[in-house]
Amino acid sequence: MLELKNLTKSFGDVPAVRDVSLSVPDGAFLVLLGPSGCGKTTLLRMLAGLELPTAGQILFEGNVVSDGDRQWQVDPAKRNSGLVFQSYALWPHMTVRGNVDWPLKVAGLETAARTQRVDEVLAMLEINQLAERYPNEISGGQQQRVAIARTIAPKPGVLLFDEPLSNLDAKLRVEMRTELMRLHRATGATAVYVTHDQIEAMTMATHVAVVNKGRIEQFGAPQDLIDHPASAFVATFVGTPPNNIVPVVRSGAGWQVAGRPMDITPPLDDCLAMFRADSLSVALTEGPRSLPMELVEVSTIAGRTMATALAGGLRLTAVLDRPPAARVGDRVHIGLPPVPDAWFTPYGERIA
Amino acid sequence: MATLASAPEPRTLQQGRRVLFQPGLVLKLVVLAILVLLIVAPMTGTVLFTLTPDAITAWSDVLVGRLAPNLFWWPLVNTMVIGVVCGVVCVLLGGFLAWAVVMTNIPFRRTIGVMATLPFMIPSFATALAWGGLFKNDRIGGDVGWLQGMGIDIPDWLAWGMVPTLVVLILHYFSLAFTIIAASLATVNSDLVEAAQIAGAKGRKILMGIILPVTTPALIAAGSLCFAGAVSNFAAPALLGLPVRMQTLSTRLFGMIEVGQTARGFVIGILLVLISALFLWLGNRAVSGRRSYATITGKGGRAKRFDLGPMRWPLFAVAALILLCATVVPVIILIASSLAPSSAFLFSNWTLHYWIGTSTANIAQGTPGIWHNPDIMWATTVTLGLGLCVAFTGMFVGLLASYTTARYRSGWLSASIMQISFLPLLIPGIAFGAAYIAFFGAPIGPLPALYGTFAILVIAGTGYLLPFSVQTGRAVIQQVSGELEESARLTGASFARRMWAITVPLAIRGLAAGGILIFVKIIRDLSLVVLLFTPTMPVMSVVAFRYASEGFTQFAHAITVLILIISIIATLLSNRLQTKSQPWLKA
Repeated sequence: MLELKNLTKSFGDVPAVRDVSLSVPDGAFLVLLGPSGCGKTTLLRMLAGLELPTAGQILFEGNVVSDGDRQWQVDPAKRNSGLVFQSYALWPHMTVRGNVDWPLKVAGLETAARTQRVDEVLAMLEINQLAERYPNEISGGQQQRVAIARTIAPKPGVLLFDEPLSNLDAKLRVEMRTELMRLHRATGATAVYVTHDQIEAMTMATHVAVVNKGRIEQFGAPQDLIDHPASAFVATFVGTPPNNIVPVVRSGAGWQVAGRPMDITPPLDDCLAMFRADSLSVALTEGPRSLPMELVEVSTIAGRTMATALAGGLRLTAVLDRPPAARVGDRVHIGLPPVPDAWFTPYGERIA
Repeated sequence: MATLASAPEPRTLQQGRRVLFQPGLVLKLVVLAILVLLIVAPMTGTVLFTLTPDAITAWSDVLVGRLAPNLFWWPLVNTMVIGVVCGVVCVLLGGFLAWAVVMTNIPFRRTIGVMATLPFMIPSFATALAWGGLFKNDRIGGDVGWLQGMGIDIPDWLAWGMVPTLVVLILHYFSLAFTIIAASLATVNSDLVEAAQIAGAKGRKILMGIILPVTTPALIAAGSLCFAGAVSNFAAPALLGLPVRMQTLSTRLFGMIEVGQTARGFVIGILLVLISALFLWLGNRAVSGRRSYATITGKGGRAKRFDLGPMRWPLFAVAALILLCATVVPVIILIASSLAPSSAFLFSNWTLHYWIGTSTANIAQGTPGIWHNPDIMWATTVTLGLGLCVAFTGMFVGLLASYTTARYRSGWLSASIMQISFLPLLIPGIAFGAAYIAFFGAPIGPLPALYGTFAILVIAGTGYLLPFSVQTGRAVIQQVSGELEESARLTGASFARRMWAITVPLAIRGLAAGGILIFVKIIRDLSLVVLLFTPTMPVMSVVAFRYASEGFTQFAHAITVLILIISIIATLLSNRLQTKSQPWLKA
């Protein structure tokens, strides 16, 4: 079990991570998902033992490995964890074999055992034919494999990944995603994976923590995040396409939805309504609860049509069974269902 | 939603350790102590010395006394003229060459690019000596220069004083301006130029509307650095101005200390530091708001160059003429005049006497050639030893300082380490030398007075070149990115093992190259060591300067050629070690 208790980290006066608590069972694949600068990499570096928390504890299998309250931590090498850096951080003066071998050598393994283990992981990552090459002689995707091989060679109990796929092109990224999941199953290690790409999070994770401004906005299984977004931030950050958020404000006796009077009963005078993309409709004529907008994008996805419309600062995306009759640039009317899928306060907290 | 499991009371692992200090605190304090000793203490020592009751009158003597116009104000005028003219002309010349090399299809652009970086490698006293070999007239007696010997009457203004000083300094510093401006032009993204072309702009419009504004910070930086270099230069005004009593602040400072008026000398030194620092600061301030331009990186190669059309060859001729005057001509004159018995007849009666001859009463008052001259051989030994020691100590301190600030970036300690280590940039070499005399000239506690020892030369050289060694150290540390070291730390390797297996193998070439460049800088330096020089601990550049002042030009030139040869060999070695990146030369 991997456990974080009230973990906090500040750099000077600037808080990077605030009061984070969560736990995942052994063998879990935890994804820390969030926009850049949200503190997810700082969280990961604390897990690796590279940063000392300002407060709170980190526990691996019930053992405290970092304790910010006592300013104490276990040395990075003795935490039974391994980190794959975003830049790969391969040692340029060592061959692929040398890179994988050196950590084992530092750990004091016998030569024979080392050779066997290196061959094993190189084969596992299908890079055994590159063993004698130097990092600058192989492609980015291959460097990525070497970095992973180097990290899993000492058989760590916790595998940490810092945006490992962000430097790869789109096709390789999809391949490596599958590869990483296969490796995770094969090693049985607990994985913690940092990314800003919600598709990676949704496809790979057993547990997702959505991080925003140093706090965990929501922690749960990928499907939970889709089905029950805990905040407007989560609702708009996960899902393909993401959910639509429309402001609803009181106006006299009724309410206005995005500035138009509409028959709706919100729980508060002033709040945000969430509509899933497939609950919206697109029409050429005005309906009882519709918003006039400009159609800006139409694309086909898996046999269905995704249409995006814009009005003022509001951007709504609908998923339709068949393409709309209108063309891009035309004025259309986006129809809203009578009851939104969720309500949030103006500050993004979930109401119902 | 986060589940807090009811785990049993957490067991504490044995391998843990408490983090007692803020990481890096000890290292930071050590580095700061070294920097204070090397830089801050001598500078404050000098200021405090001029404030003691015995010395404080020096301030009024220099600034308002009866002698003030001669002591300070006229030298100040000369210094400012030199600085401003040199700064402006260097930017024009260096900018022209940089534009030609980076942006146009001028013939032999690669060759021009390499040649334009060379003049800065030739010490300014070498160029000044060469000027004398060519243009010296009979005004101050002694041997005349080659042109006068050929029967051409050289007027005084061309032989001595302001004009030759300016020409020599411009030929020296324009290469610095070229390097800065070319590097900046090379970062002008070709997309920027193409976007302007698509918008319909033509050559001149693109130059004035896009390229010039984008490179303004580099132009200002180049101008202020050339200004600061020229006002603090000692060799050129001393060799070409002093014989006709043209004084600058640096020659005044030298003269005052030479005649024992130390306090007045220090006061002039402090004022010189303030002037040079003021202009660098102004330049920096003018640039700082716009610096972000410089970070625009060029992706892909430059698609098109300006077509100079029929102007290609004329412009090439101009560039070639400037470069020949700045590189080949001085070297040829120096070599020739180290071989010719009379500089009036540079290319006749060549003899190796000044190199390998033994003492002959009828030549140069019996002074033997440099190979048989124990004084010169001793100076050569001292100089090489000094170069090696400073290269070693400089890289050591530079690496320590840059490692500390790169790995532990936060906190005021790191900030002050950075600030202090770049302070010597503001301090002219001769003022730095004066400060070291003030501080280390007298015993400090149990330590003996260091004046006249090898140690003071090494310490002064290390302090003076610290901005350079820290810069090199930073480049080396950046090569070994933090993550490479962190990933080694994650394996559990100890500090020593990480250094041995990761950091040193990756950094060794950069370190060696940086060390060699420091070596070259110190062996051809004159302004720093000219005041620290003593007959028991001589260095080559000062010996050459003395020979030149006494009229033994052949020896001066021979020693200068020797310095040049050593410098060139070392520079080539360093280039081999670290293939220098010259982005503007890439196709």
